[in-house]
Amino acid sequence: MTHIIKNFFIALKEVFIGSRRYYCWLAFLSLLILLGASAYIEQSGRGLIITAMRDQVSWGFYISNFTFLVGVAAAAVLLVVPAYIYNFKPIKEIVLFGELLAITAITMCILFIMADMGQPLRVWHILPVIGAMHFPASLLAWDVVVLNGYLAINTIIAFYVLYRLSIGKEYKMSVIGPLILLSIPWAVSIHTVTAFLYNGLSARPFWNASILAPRFLASAFCSGPAIMIVLFQIIRKFPNVEIENRALFKIAELVAYAMGLNLFLLGAEVFKEFYSGSIDTYPIQYLYFGLHGKTALVPWIWFATVLNITAFFMFLFPRTRENFLTLNMSCIFVIIGVYIEKGMGLVVPGFVPDTLGEIYEYSPTKPEILIAVGIWAAGALIYTILLKFAVPVYTGKIRFGVKKEGVPARHIMTKKLVTVTPEVSIEEVSRLLTSRNISAVPVVDKDNKVTGVVSESDIIFNEMRREPDFAKKLGGLVLSDTKGDKYTAAGSTAADIMTSPAVTALEESTLQELNQILIQKKIRRVIIVDGSGHPVGIISRGDILKILGKYLEK
Amino acid sequence: MKKITGEKREINMNRRTFLTGAAAGLAGAMLPLNKADASFWEAFFQKHFLEMNDAEKKKVIERLEKEYEQKYKKEITVGLENPMPGVLFGYGLDLSRCIGCRRCEYACVDENNQSKDPQIHWITVLRFKKGEKWIDLEESEKYYNPPLVPEPDYFYMPVQCQQCENPPCVRSCPTQATWKEPDGIVVVDYNWCIGCRYCMAACPYGARHFNWAEPNRKPEDINPKTHYLGNRPRYKGVVEKCTFCIQRTRNGRYPACVEACPVGARKFGNLLDPDSEIRYAIDHKRVFRLKEDLNTNPKFYYFFAYGV
Amino acid sequence: MEKCNKRVFISLAGLLLLIFFHPSFVESAERDIPKHFLVPPPPFSPGIFPCSQCHMYMPANKTPRKLEMHQEIVLKHMPGGWCFDCHNPDNRDRLRLANGKLISFDESYLLCGQCHGTILRDWKAGLHGKRTGMWNGEKLYRLCVHCHWPHEPRFKPIKPLPPPVRPSEIK
Repeated sequence: MTHIIKNFFIALKEVFIGSRRYYCWLAFLSLLILLGASAYIEQSGRGLIITAMRDQVSWGFYISNFTFLVGVAAAAVLLVVPAYIYNFKPIKEIVLFGELLAITAITMCILFIMADMGQPLRVWHILPVIGAMHFPASLLAWDVVVLNGYLAINTIIAFYVLYRLSIGKEYKMSVIGPLILLSIPWAVSIHTVTAFLYNGLSARPFWNASILAPRFLASAFCSGPAIMIVLFQIIRKFPNVEIENRALFKIAELVAYAMGLNLFLLGAEVFKEFYSGSIDTYPIQYLYFGLHGKTALVPWIWFATVLNITAFFMFLFPRTRENFLTLNMSCIFVIIGVYIEKGMGLVVPGFVPDTLGEIYEYSPTKPEILIAVGIWAAGALIYTILLKFAVPVYTGKIRFGVKKEGVPARHIMTKKLVTVTPEVSIEEVSRLLTSRNISAVPVVDKDNKVTGVVSESDIIFNEMRREPDFAKKLGGLVLSDTKGDKYTAAGSTAADIMTSPAVTALEESTLQELNQILIQKKIRRVIIVDGSGHPVGIISRGDILKILGKYLEK
Repeated sequence: MKKITGEKREINMNRRTFLTGAAAGLAGAMLPLNKADASFWEAFFQKHFLEMNDAEKKKVIERLEKEYEQKYKKEITVGLENPMPGVLFGYGLDLSRCIGCRRCEYACVDENNQSKDPQIHWITVLRFKKGEKWIDLEESEKYYNPPLVPEPDYFYMPVQCQQCENPPCVRSCPTQATWKEPDGIVVVDYNWCIGCRYCMAACPYGARHFNWAEPNRKPEDINPKTHYLGNRPRYKGVVEKCTFCIQRTRNGRYPACVEACPVGARKFGNLLDPDSEIRYAIDHKRVFRLKEDLNTNPKFYYFFAYGV
Repeated sequence: MEKCNKRVFISLAGLLLLIFFHPSFVESAERDIPKHFLVPPPPFSPGIFPCSQCHMYMPANKTPRKLEMHQEIVLKHMPGGWCFDCHNPDNRDRLRLANGKLISFDESYLLCGQCHGTILRDWKAGLHGKRTGMWNGEKLYRLCVHCHWPHEPRFKPIKPLPPPVRPSEIK
């Protein structure tokens, strides 16, 4: 156990080493955080009176930011679903970064809540057992439970994956599979509970509408992935981090659908409010057109609506979606649009007019904005640190020897590697194996990631199935057939007969481990891959025999 | 331009120490180091009011009375009067009488030690123009300031905590800092409230008010007879509201607003007593309650005296 | 000696008359309020009561007219009515009900209640007018006249207390 902690701190050191640009970035964020902190110190001294919140509008900028960020956190699950449920490989690799974003977003949510509290030191009162948590009656108590649970789930998954990677192993689905599956409904629930927080208040007709929870989820699945698309383009600039365009475009496609749904729900809300025209529709009138001459929010919401609609079309059409300039533009549009619509555009109209008909125009003060900026900078700093810690582990730059005895694979493996693509015909593969005098060849996709392996046995058995007498002709020359009676017609490709997925191991795997693999899986060879799944070598029984020979000679 | 390479470690150290120092300073600024006396930690670890036994409550009262004496330089008693059995308080307001003079508003401020700056009023008097839609409250006005009241084309309606039997504020509080007492008064424990203001969002009557800053009241204006759950001086960052003058009503007296009203528009009594004036009003007058469609079941009844 | 006795007798009689008919004595003797409706004393103008101070020796003129005294009283109550519709011509220290019964000023609500019966009913139940004291115990009522000057009962508008501070002005 102690070595895990030790290794953690060794990896943590990575956070403090970096380029000039990295230090400038950290310094810039630290400055913003300090500005926010100084404003917060003033607020804890004088009280929340330094904000623009008053009895009439008792929640404002902090809670707006909180609501937006819960959506961002929930959207990390948007990656999990295609990665694990549909096994869409290009996304599988980047789930980790999505989870780190979720951790960051939830932490920022907690910071915003703490900033908004009148008596932050008493926050322990909300806990069960030692406090007096009002569960299940209070939706805020529910929110505390689900948000912290979500933070725990994502932290466990992310750090487990990183831990396994750091010791050169892949994560065990049996260990975190259930957690990953749990995180899907849980992510939906954090945003549903946050919506219910508003939704359940009969005192506020603007919020007391069933459409709130679906709208929250729809807008979350726009803003969160949009942020991720932008972030992933930055992350893949790190050495050795590969994030395929396919992954980004797939996420963008999902954003299009989510924004479409969001706009439809907006339309539904607009119809109901403006057509029925009862007193309860005054808040949305205030938002879009102003009320009794009070129009502070009107330009903002129209700006946000235009951005959202524009972004929807840009996401919808592949031409603009798959062009990085327009893609990034539409991501920015979505982020800003949803930030306004779901932040101030949701919280403030709930209070205008207030329960006794008064209209108080709320506009955040400078200290409020400074504190919010400070918390956003803290979030950026947290994500930066998490990445600086995670990326070297992810790419294999940091590996911890867990007291490995023996020779690592990279010393034994055959480095001169031949590969084929799935479309290559069986005849060609056959010719390749004979000419190069090798017994198998890895099959790679167009991103040079190992998808399968074609060996001599695969080719022979394929022929065998086509000609039943062939087996008799060969006698007992070959190992047992693993593919049964299925055969492929002549003219087939490598993809048709390859063994997939191929058995692979990382470069650091020891001789012992490789032996184990060969014996347990009853195979002749293991393909050695790097952290991203690219083939770097191959080890067969023959290679091991050679090493054994050298050892025995000694 | 400074060379980064060789001095990287130093820069790391400097920034690290700086950030740690800043963080420690921040944390330190949060702790009330000048309140080094045990009283701060006692207050911090104070249990929920409903979980305290009588001895613990007494200790809390002693501590509070000492704190108030230090702060206001006068003796302030904090009572713990329990609800009377067989009592459920109800309030009546005669809309045919109210003249909008606001004497109730200010009597409440003085009786209940409300902050003068920033100003907190537990009672709001709304003015409506006769003939225009008024139940929606959107056409109401609370900042009216004519030379004389009542004005000919207007009528007036005071609003304060309705002491609902099904209070949405109680349901929403995440820490159970606000609850309904057996005699029907919805109270707040000012030492338990965390100031999240969810209850203020939940209240349909705008009855709950927040201490956005440290409440400010001159010592000579402090009413020294207080109740723990009622009019004792509050703190920055907690919610407060009308408690039907719990310090008076649990001792049999009328609330201050009832006694202050010059036209006798305010009525108060025990809803469970068939001979009380409030029951008389409900039985003989046409009473209604605000926003009844929300099913909050308020105990604040509005009526018009004319008619039987 | 007889002259001396006569003088003493007259002085004694005068003294007795003075004692029994002195305003203060008369006033205190007349104030027996029924315990059920505890009220403060009626809000007389200073020195005006007891009315018999002046009216004891004046014959009552029952012709409705404009008065020489009490000119500040302009009757804006009960159109077509005048003083003796409520006041008792034979004893000004009492009020007279329609059935001829005499009541003290401390029970003036009985007089008002003759016409304003529903208000009287509400007042007795505590629903009309101000009451202070204990909601579950003794209460102090107010007489009608404490709020409604009987000669012009319409409630006069009063100056309201200041409006609350607007939220944008709370700093």
